[in-house]
Amino acid sequence: MAATSDSAIMQYVQEVVPEGLEYKMGRENRVFVRVKPDDVDKLAERFTKKLGVRLSHASGVDLQQFGFDIIYAYDFTKYKERLQIVLEANLPRENPTINSVGKVTWQAVWAEREMKEFLGINFIGMPDPRHQFLPYEWPKNPETGISPAQNSTTYPVEAKPGEKWLPVGISPKDAISALVPIGPYHPGVIEGQTVYVKVEGEHVIDADIKTGYHHRGIQRLIERRGYNKGVFVAERVCGICSAHHGIAFVTAAENLYDAEVPERALYIRTLLAELNRVHSHILWIGVAADLIGWKTGFMLTWGLRERVMDIIEAITGNRVNYGIWRLGGVSRDVKQELAESSKRTLLALKEDLAKLLPPVADHPILKSRCIGVGTLDLATCFETGVVGPVARASNWKIDVRMDNPPHAIYDPKKISWEVITDDHRDMYGRVLVRVKELFVSMDIVVQCLDYLAKTTGEIRAKPRTIEPGTEGIGLDEAPRGELFYYMRAGGTELPEYMMPEGKHNVQGSNQPQCVRIRTPSYRNNAALPFMLKDCALADVPIIMGSIDQCQACTDRVEVIDAKTESSYSLSWDELVRMSQRKGRA
Amino acid sequence: MPDALFTTITAIIMIPVAFFLSIIYLFLLRKFSARFQWRVGPVISMYADLKPLLGRSRILQPLYDILKLFGKDTVVPSVARKTLFKASPYLALACAFGAIFFIPLPGVPLLSYLDDSLVIASYLLIAAVMFTILGAASSGSPWSAIGARRESEIFLVYEIGFVVALFAAAMTYGTLSIWTIATTSSLPLLLLNPFAAVLLFLVMIGKLGIKPLDIAEAETEIVGGPYTEYSGKYLGMLQLTKGFLFYDMVGLFIVLFLAPMFGTALWIPVYIISAIVVVLFLSIVHVLHPRWKIDRAMRSYGLLIAVFAILAVIMVALALSYNWVVV
Repeated sequence: MAATSDSAIMQYVQEVVPEGLEYKMGRENRVFVRVKPDDVDKLAERFTKKLGVRLSHASGVDLQQFGFDIIYAYDFTKYKERLQIVLEANLPRENPTINSVGKVTWQAVWAEREMKEFLGINFIGMPDPRHQFLPYEWPKNPETGISPAQNSTTYPVEAKPGEKWLPVGISPKDAISALVPIGPYHPGVIEGQTVYVKVEGEHVIDADIKTGYHHRGIQRLIERRGYNKGVFVAERVCGICSAHHGIAFVTAAENLYDAEVPERALYIRTLLAELNRVHSHILWIGVAADLIGWKTGFMLTWGLRERVMDIIEAITGNRVNYGIWRLGGVSRDVKQELAESSKRTLLALKEDLAKLLPPVADHPILKSRCIGVGTLDLATCFETGVVGPVARASNWKIDVRMDNPPHAIYDPKKISWEVITDDHRDMYGRVLVRVKELFVSMDIVVQCLDYLAKTTGEIRAKPRTIEPGTEGIGLDEAPRGELFYYMRAGGTELPEYMMPEGKHNVQGSNQPQCVRIRTPSYRNNAALPFMLKDCALADVPIIMGSIDQCQACTDRVEVIDAKTESSYSLSWDELVRMSQRKGRA
Repeated sequence: MPDALFTTITAIIMIPVAFFLSIIYLFLLRKFSARFQWRVGPVISMYADLKPLLGRSRILQPLYDILKLFGKDTVVPSVARKTLFKASPYLALACAFGAIFFIPLPGVPLLSYLDDSLVIASYLLIAAVMFTILGAASSGSPWSAIGARRESEIFLVYEIGFVVALFAAAMTYGTLSIWTIATTSSLPLLLLNPFAAVLLFLVMIGKLGIKPLDIAEAETEIVGGPYTEYSGKYLGMLQLTKGFLFYDMVGLFIVLFLAPMFGTALWIPVYIISAIVVVLFLSIVHVLHPRWKIDRAMRSYGLLIAVFAILAVIMVALALSYNWVVV
């Protein structure tokens, strides 16, 4: 995992970014470029429109008295191996203003809405200035009763008086169009979110999504806990793809120093990541079957999924949060007998799935429910920045495991596997991609188990010191798509007189200065309104299901006191008291 | 014509019997579907350690579910047309309940010996669904309105099939009295006119909301469909309506298509077995399919109904012209 900054990469970066900019090479071809705030949108135009690269994530970092750092991470793996270019712009704390990248490429819109909400940054020319996580109505002007974020006309959030359903309003005459909220409590949506769909009869003419029903402040929790404990918090971002959060976290942290990870540990990481994908995809097939009203499919697939969970439990001791990820390796080895018995179980499961899934995918009613539903063409895919199976079902061959692999074994020389794509561009394509990926993942697991059964070795290397101010990026292909971790090492610069003579005057820290997580659902949810337009109301749950939403991954919220305009987090006791109070009413 | 006193007494006895049978049919549907889905379902013989807590058996689980609803609060939405909203469950239940007196059991004609009993029964069965739709449409909820709309669309399709299937039987035997149909033939109509039997089976799938056609109450799509705003006793009544409808439809199927067993009460075990077989077939359809979309269902289901209706009518014409029926 040593740094591979060669001169070819440097030369390429010099070609791409304007002259006179200060940039530093990170490890594994991550390049961090310091830009002026005015250039951000011009560079975005050049990158996304001319060069056709993807914006991985945009986020802001609060540097207290030093203002805000806005980061835009672009994925250049198309041009140079593993190249990620991160643009960083510093804004003053007083009246931070920057040109909007959202007006150049739509994929930045959610990130900018989030930054506006959390850091108070003004984006000039923002296409959608509404709140991302806070309620739209908040804060209302006490005199006019209108909230400043509500003035957008792109997506209407409230039904006009004529649009409400009238009693005995089943004739289309009485109900020309209606705004139907799907969520936050709806049987088709297990997690909290609202999708507003504007319907004419059963035909959806417009749709909008509102998130913000979960709050855990998980990025802040990781920042407070440091690298070693943070990985356990990171795993808890999502219960279904916990392995991938673990891997992405350790990849990002190992990107901060010259990490050496034993090969056996890499195999164990891959093994668990792929087992995780297997159970996640089986789970998704069940959920999708349930969403189109097929309880049998749900029951059978979830019954089969238990066997994968058993293997995972036998290997790690846990079913959901494995807790074996460590910087520089893993904490548990896989013994020979365990590898062999797991392989037997897995092969039997593979046989059963091969019997069950093809007839399911050929079921005529299932096909009629899936083909042509929730279509998303390649251009929209790129513009909205979807990732994972949703993008691959639209024939876009992106897979982080191939393009920019995490610190695990995905080298085609060591493990044979392929990226699955499909050109259906609809719900059916997403089903096929996931079913095929399931079998590819099982093949990878078998190869890993073979290796682990045959060999022995170290599973953990000692971590080294992390230099303050280093930046790192960790990527992993979670079952739902690309998972992005940005990390910046913490540390303080001490005055010279405080340090012993001859020592470097920088005090390192065991805590990162900032951690930014961009989950795949964050991107795919943003593209949801594009898929929902022009579908039938019956298709809405399955389209929402087709991106395999994970709301808990997407949401981040802070509590803001409207009177004093100060923000704070709720403590556990306060939350308990609050729930008791609300529960009683 | 049977004795009036005998009819009165059997009709009174019939109320608990039909109630019990409808609960059993609902239980069987749940049990069969559960077994097909690798689940246990409501247990027939309770686990030994749970017996003191849960009783000996859970065969009556559908009844407990309905009874529970009668103990719950009943909420009427403020935007609903209240009279219609409250009256509809009563009327729907009354229609489905009234129809049980026109479905004979072996040796027990009830009111089915009346000259036009088939017409009365079909009207009652249609009205039960109609009132469900009306109540939903008056509730003021968008989900209910969409559910009612879907229900009425699918209703238009299966009612045509329903009427054709019933009158295929009536035409073949030249009578509108269910009891006459049940007792006069020596050959089951299932063999004589299998297309009409399949047609009535297809109608049952639509009318009872069995899986590809549970479009109206699609839980994951439109919450509860027509039942979204109903709660407490009204919901209980609608569930009961469904139970009685189940009994009516299964009974009607047997009486029309497996006829020559209604002469004496000794045939009752055969009647029960054939009922179980019909429910088994319904459960198989229930577990095998995902839900149709309404537009697709209108097309495919409508086509299916139309094809079988035409075939059934052709079979009736053949049967009449070649005198296959020996009355």
